[in-house]
Amino acid sequence: MILITGGTGFLGAHLAAHLLEEGDEVILLARSKQGLSAADRVGRLLDWLGVAANRKKNVHLVEGRLEHPGLGLEPDDSALISREIDEIVHCASSTSFAERRRAEVEAVNLDGLRHVLDLAERSRCRRFHFISTAYVAGINSGHCLEELVRPAAFTNVYEETKCRAEWLASERCAKAGLRLSIYRPSIVYGHSETGRSLLFNALYYPVRTALFLKNLYETDIRERGGWRAAEMGVRLDGDGWTVMPIRIMAEDGGGVNVVPVDFFVRAFGAIRERAVDGGIFQVVNSRRTRIEDIIEYTQALFHIRGIMVCPAQDMEGKPRNALEEVFETYLEAYRPYLRDRRIFGAEKAGPILDDKGIRCPDLTFDIFKRCLDYAVQCGWGTRLFRG
Amino acid sequence: MVKADDDILKTASQCRHYAMCKIDYLGTGLCPPGKRYHYVSYYPQGRMDLYAAMADNLIPVTEGLVHIAETCSLCGVCDLQCHFVTGLRPLKVMKALKDRVEDYLKAGGKPVSIASDEPLRCLRSIVGSEWATNDPAVLVTYANDPFPLADLKMPRYVVLPGTREEVAAVVRLANELGLPYAVRGNGGSVFGFVFSEGIVLDMQRMRGIVIDKDNWSAAVGPGVTSFELQQEAFRHGLRVNTAEPAATVCGNIVCTGTFSTWSYAYGTAADGFIDMEFVDARGQIFRLNDKQAPNVFAFENAVIPAPGICTEASVKLHPTSKDEDGVLVPFWDFDEAVALARELGRRRIGLAVAVLGIHYIANFMSPSKDLAGLLKDVLPETLGIRYVVFAIGDRFARESIQKLAGPVIDSGLWRTLTLGLPRLLDSEWLDLVKGFEAGRPPYEILCRPEMRPLVEAVLRPSPETLAAAVEEDLRELYTGLYSQPRFTDMTWLNMFRILSSRMSRRKHMFAFLVYVPLDRNDVINHINAEFARIAAAQGLDHDFGFLTPMDLGKRAILEYDYYIDHTDPAEREKIGRVLAEIGPWLDGLAERTKGVTFLKYVFSQGCSRKENFLYR
Repeated sequence: MILITGGTGFLGAHLAAHLLEEGDEVILLARSKQGLSAADRVGRLLDWLGVAANRKKNVHLVEGRLEHPGLGLEPDDSALISREIDEIVHCASSTSFAERRRAEVEAVNLDGLRHVLDLAERSRCRRFHFISTAYVAGINSGHCLEELVRPAAFTNVYEETKCRAEWLASERCAKAGLRLSIYRPSIVYGHSETGRSLLFNALYYPVRTALFLKNLYETDIRERGGWRAAEMGVRLDGDGWTVMPIRIMAEDGGGVNVVPVDFFVRAFGAIRERAVDGGIFQVVNSRRTRIEDIIEYTQALFHIRGIMVCPAQDMEGKPRNALEEVFETYLEAYRPYLRDRRIFGAEKAGPILDDKGIRCPDLTFDIFKRCLDYAVQCGWGTRLFRG
Repeated sequence: MVKADDDILKTASQCRHYAMCKIDYLGTGLCPPGKRYHYVSYYPQGRMDLYAAMADNLIPVTEGLVHIAETCSLCGVCDLQCHFVTGLRPLKVMKALKDRVEDYLKAGGKPVSIASDEPLRCLRSIVGSEWATNDPAVLVTYANDPFPLADLKMPRYVVLPGTREEVAAVVRLANELGLPYAVRGNGGSVFGFVFSEGIVLDMQRMRGIVIDKDNWSAAVGPGVTSFELQQEAFRHGLRVNTAEPAATVCGNIVCTGTFSTWSYAYGTAADGFIDMEFVDARGQIFRLNDKQAPNVFAFENAVIPAPGICTEASVKLHPTSKDEDGVLVPFWDFDEAVALARELGRRRIGLAVAVLGIHYIANFMSPSKDLAGLLKDVLPETLGIRYVVFAIGDRFARESIQKLAGPVIDSGLWRTLTLGLPRLLDSEWLDLVKGFEAGRPPYEILCRPEMRPLVEAVLRPSPETLAAAVEEDLRELYTGLYSQPRFTDMTWLNMFRILSSRMSRRKHMFAFLVYVPLDRNDVINHINAEFARIAAAQGLDHDFGFLTPMDLGKRAILEYDYYIDHTDPAEREKIGRVLAEIGPWLDGLAERTKGVTFLKYVFSQGCSRKENFLYR
């Protein structure tokens, strides 16, 4: 039996579905949230993931909280886990970048991990799969290897705590004789073939922002005289496209390293199968997507014109308007990921994936369109867990 | 008599006695019978009590009750006045009270005539026959307050003196007859201090205000409310340091001394007045400036009686400047907010300063309880705001604050956020705002001046937008109110404090106030943590209220609030246990820590020099 933490999250849910599909029996650690019980949340997720009825019987649900010692489990649940689990897939994580949330990020990413490791040590579990991130590399311009690292600085508290968590997991697993596999995906987006996703941050956020602004000003033009749109230089072209003059400062090179969730799941499966002794595996894309391409895709998909990448010298001395401020703020926070020039090595993961014929697809317009169409259609994920 | 309607009774029982129906704070007029007859029984507050008292069979249908019911024309002024701060709709109670009395009379019931007695005849000979009564319909409205630990205490007489001589004569008469007495301000008393089994003096008729511009002072009668005095001062381009708008100025000074965000610049207690006039326990009149007057400027850390009944206060007036305006500095971290407030005090920047918790901000901004609840979640979770430093100052002060603090919510943005509040809480917009967050909280980007056009485009602030958050039949009235610039003017709102009663919209508020050393964050944090712990242990709602620096940032007054349903016996028990725990804890802390004084001991010593309780 396999215990999955974060089983109601984006990656955890997909990994759970994959393991069920493989015939495994899983225990999902979940909690009630947003007015829904843990059972309701898991039920909805399994339906959303399309898990077959005959596989659902292999799902066991335990209610618990990662931040609590012993995961806050009922004695019976705790005993079941200790007695039955062979592997743990630890997906639960706080992905907040906000420094003001440091305490809660540490509580989930570090204390939570400690509590799961405590449980692992007193169970019959022998394999520990830890879902980390490629960005434990921190502020680093060079080649990022599949090994434990101690960067001098991090971009945010998320990176820092995930890096500290890797060391923690490594030390504790070594002592306890647990085989540890660390998986380091880059930025994960929706399913490349279906476009489906549960999470719409990172790659989705700026696109969603652009669409929000387009809708906002279009409504202003159509229903309220359009003076607020005019104030921002936004107008409708004769062909119905919206012109939004937004300058985004250009920088040399770089791009965003994104992988679709289906690729990540297949990679996880292959690595779990082949690397039984554990190790560190970077699940990344060998090619980065340029910001310019994402802008082009966004404009084409949503019938927008005017968003342009501008050389820094052209922007100097020219104040930014509100729309440019929005994107600039986003870029400030995500610059290390969007203008990334780091090379993430895949010396260990690569051969396994090659051998299994698993290749990360590039983010083409078609895939982008599928993913964004799905995002719009599902209200950017707001409906699944609505109580 | 038919049973009281449960829903109407619930509304009647929820009256907090804040007396906002006794001041014309919305500019919509006053309850006409209240204005004419002065007894609280004729105001919506009293009628709410009367309905509840009838439901409990506490009073018969008396001649007084019939008059009270008949004089209500159901004009509806009270509905907006009460809803604006409490969310309650008292009009249905007013109507139900009339209906019950009418039904009683139609069914052939005779109103009970209450016989006069000798003390009443004596009282009436002093104040006039109209201004003293023993009718239970009046008495019962002076018999209790939402203070959950006090039982109903029915007075024998209620008297409304019109002059200081009448007050003195009533006191002498009470002494002769051996009757206890208590003085009632305008609203009520959250700690149940204003009840008597003998005579209750209601000072409503003594409402004189005489402005002496040359001496920067106003002579104020004991029936004058803070709102009315501020209104008069404002008319002269001046300002006073006042308390809650419906509180009487004299009562407030005598009780605790006036403290507000303006105490930052204007001080508190004896700082607030030039002279005061009292009637002492023997019925003799004295002024504080008399050489032979008792020394009320001293302070004793004990519960002691007031120096007498205040019959006039000569209150200080302060100058204003045309460029005064408000500013809010958001914070995630409490210590950082306190540090800014302290720094402003040290540098003497601004006129009014306070660190406010989000419960305050959410309720000040929101015209409804539900919206306030949502905003209270959104402020910290999405915008990264857990506290704000609120300040009023001239343009030099505001510029300095911005330089010291960085991103601020200025008056323009405040207006935008207030009038666009329902859209600020739109989930799609909030999702986007969340995405702004990385190293710095999202409020920072909202505060940038360049962002203002976008924020305005999203929120589309207008009186209509805000009014959409209240019940449909009130929307037009709310639109009218919020079309007036003063309803979003931080200076005006803070001077008149008309929003402060919104704090108790959800539940009755129990405020604990402590003077604290502002340079001791450890002490302040300990006090907050202990208040939180004690409340949590009893399962009571609680929140940090405010912290206002005083005396150049050396000291401050801190308010921590508990929220209870005062009609729920279980909560009543809890608050009893809480009070039993808080008293000894704060006494011990005050003994060990310089600068800590529990406001409980300032009660009735509000005329003392602040230095005597701030620096013990």
